Amino acid sequence: MAIIEAVDLRKVYRSIVRGPGLAGAVKALFSREIEETVAVDGVSFSLQPGELVGYLGPNGAGKSTTIKMLTGILVPTSGTLRVAGVVPSERRQANAQNIGVVFGQRSQLYWDLPLRESFELLRAIYDVPDDRYRTNMKTFAELLDLDRFLGTPVRQLSLGERMRGDFAAAMLHDPAIVYLDEPTIGLDVVAKEAIRTFVAEINRERGTTIILTTHDLADVERLARRVILIDEGAVIYDGALERLRQEYGTHRTLVVTLANPEQRLDVEGATVESREGNVVRLRFERKKTSAETLIRRVMECCEISDLQIIEPDIDGIVRRIYTEGYQDGAAGTPS
Amino acid sequence: MIIAARPRFRWAPYRALAARAMAREATYRFDVFTSIGSVLVRLYLLKMVWTALYAHNTTPAELPLHAVITYSAVALLMGLVMDIDQTRALHDRLHDGTIVTDFLKPINVALSFFADGTGEVIFHAILIVPSLVLALLVVHIDVPPPMTLAAFAVSFVLGYLVGFWINFILNCTAFWTLEISAVQLIVTWLTDLLGGEIIPLVLFPVVLQKIVFVLPFAAMFSTPLLIYVGIISPSGWAAAIGVQAVWAAVLAFAASLMWRAGTRRIVSQGG
Repeated sequence: MAIIEAVDLRKVYRSIVRGPGLAGAVKALFSREIEETVAVDGVSFSLQPGELVGYLGPNGAGKSTTIKMLTGILVPTSGTLRVAGVVPSERRQANAQNIGVVFGQRSQLYWDLPLRESFELLRAIYDVPDDRYRTNMKTFAELLDLDRFLGTPVRQLSLGERMRGDFAAAMLHDPAIVYLDEPTIGLDVVAKEAIRTFVAEINRERGTTIILTTHDLADVERLARRVILIDEGAVIYDGALERLRQEYGTHRTLVVTLANPEQRLDVEGATVESREGNVVRLRFERKKTSAETLIRRVMECCEISDLQIIEPDIDGIVRRIYTEGYQDGAAGTPS
Repeated sequence: MIIAARPRFRWAPYRALAARAMAREATYRFDVFTSIGSVLVRLYLLKMVWTALYAHNTTPAELPLHAVITYSAVALLMGLVMDIDQTRALHDRLHDGTIVTDFLKPINVALSFFADGTGEVIFHAILIVPSLVLALLVVHIDVPPPMTLAAFAVSFVLGYLVGFWINFILNCTAFWTLEISAVQLIVTWLTDLLGGEIIPLVLFPVVLQKIVFVLPFAAMFSTPLLIYVGIISPSGWAAAIGVQAVWAAVLAFAASLMWRAGTRRIVSQGG
């Protein structure tokens, strides 16, 4: 049985039209001209317990609006939504007990108190049993290396420390479902890696269902097997990440560093993408030319000092889908 | 762990929030000392000003010098809790958008702000005791009979509620405007002047008195203080306290309307 079921979800924001300047502001007090903005336009999806799904889309695509409807903060204009059997907007508090949320841009920790006391407060709010609280604190302290700054007031924490605190805070009550809204934004490589390991661990060990929205597609590649792509409020792809890669990531790049910078490089089955000094980027279609064949051809014609194969990154694939639109079986049409 | 049943109401989160607010207030130790210190300085100044004023003018019959100094001293001590903007956190969290994270928690959000404010007020109420002891070194404060003290206590609590709801309504306006400091400044000024915190309202011209006594501000400071110094006699207690109760109820009703309209705005616009 699905743990999250969204059917034809729509959200329309209504706002009063306001002209520029003071005159516009005064006029808006009396005018009833309403402007409607469709943020989410008929989104449907369903998640099984334990799934970890990447929910992706460009800015303004409707990601955050969807997440807010899932949390019960926002009431959908139409459509139905069930999260762990609860309609979130009708029973916000019951829903809140089942979910954990991390906003990369907003902390739910209490600014003026040491981190540890934020956890104590959340323990009271979520009614976490003593043994679960102790076990979770111990696990999180290990996974996220919290011990060093548990006694530090939250306002003095670095962004990386604060985010680790926020993750622990969101998972403290063992929620069955977790929403992560751009959780790694602004973090350095080490902190990102710590967070990704933590999310993977929680998903695997506890079977927590996770929806992840992010602009950092490395998060998705590392964590999610399934992605939902939305654009202009509608789902344009819902399926395996691997399938996207196969259909859209059909080319690879071979970076060749030549021993002799004067050497010409022109081999069958590949096109020169760029050349800077003695570094040549060759692009080839995975299905037409194997890497092994290409490397052999390159080595037959030139003396080389270095070789590197670059896989298509998901970033490029997603960008291509947003600019070209998604078509089933688009494979083999190089862009 | 999936909870599908309606969670039963628990006090624990609100107790914890109140305790946290007390801990937070206690972290600003310097503020604690300066606030007690400033009470003493202001008491001393008030004593000097009233003494000088009374020396050069005819003394009002109902309010002799010792009574007006008692009035001012008690007003200052009341101010230690009355002047707190208990639900300031609501405004702050609307302003920076963190209110959204409050709605993500399994709590009644309005109650969570009340709990926070209560913790803050309890902490400052405790400060009244050392302030009172020190105040007695600076000025003499008259102590009325126990029944009058009891009536004063009831009136003080109602006055506190009136102030609480006025502040809450002001903080709720941040649902729409986000910036409320100008309005707040005006209201603080009105409360200071028309509430009787600084100048007893009975010293106002008679025409003005007719106006200020029907405003809610008088219910905050003036009514309990006039009961304390005996200007409102026991026969007038019921009526005076009744007016306060009406104001507290009216303002609570207005506040609940504001809160409902404000939260509806959040659920339709997303904060």
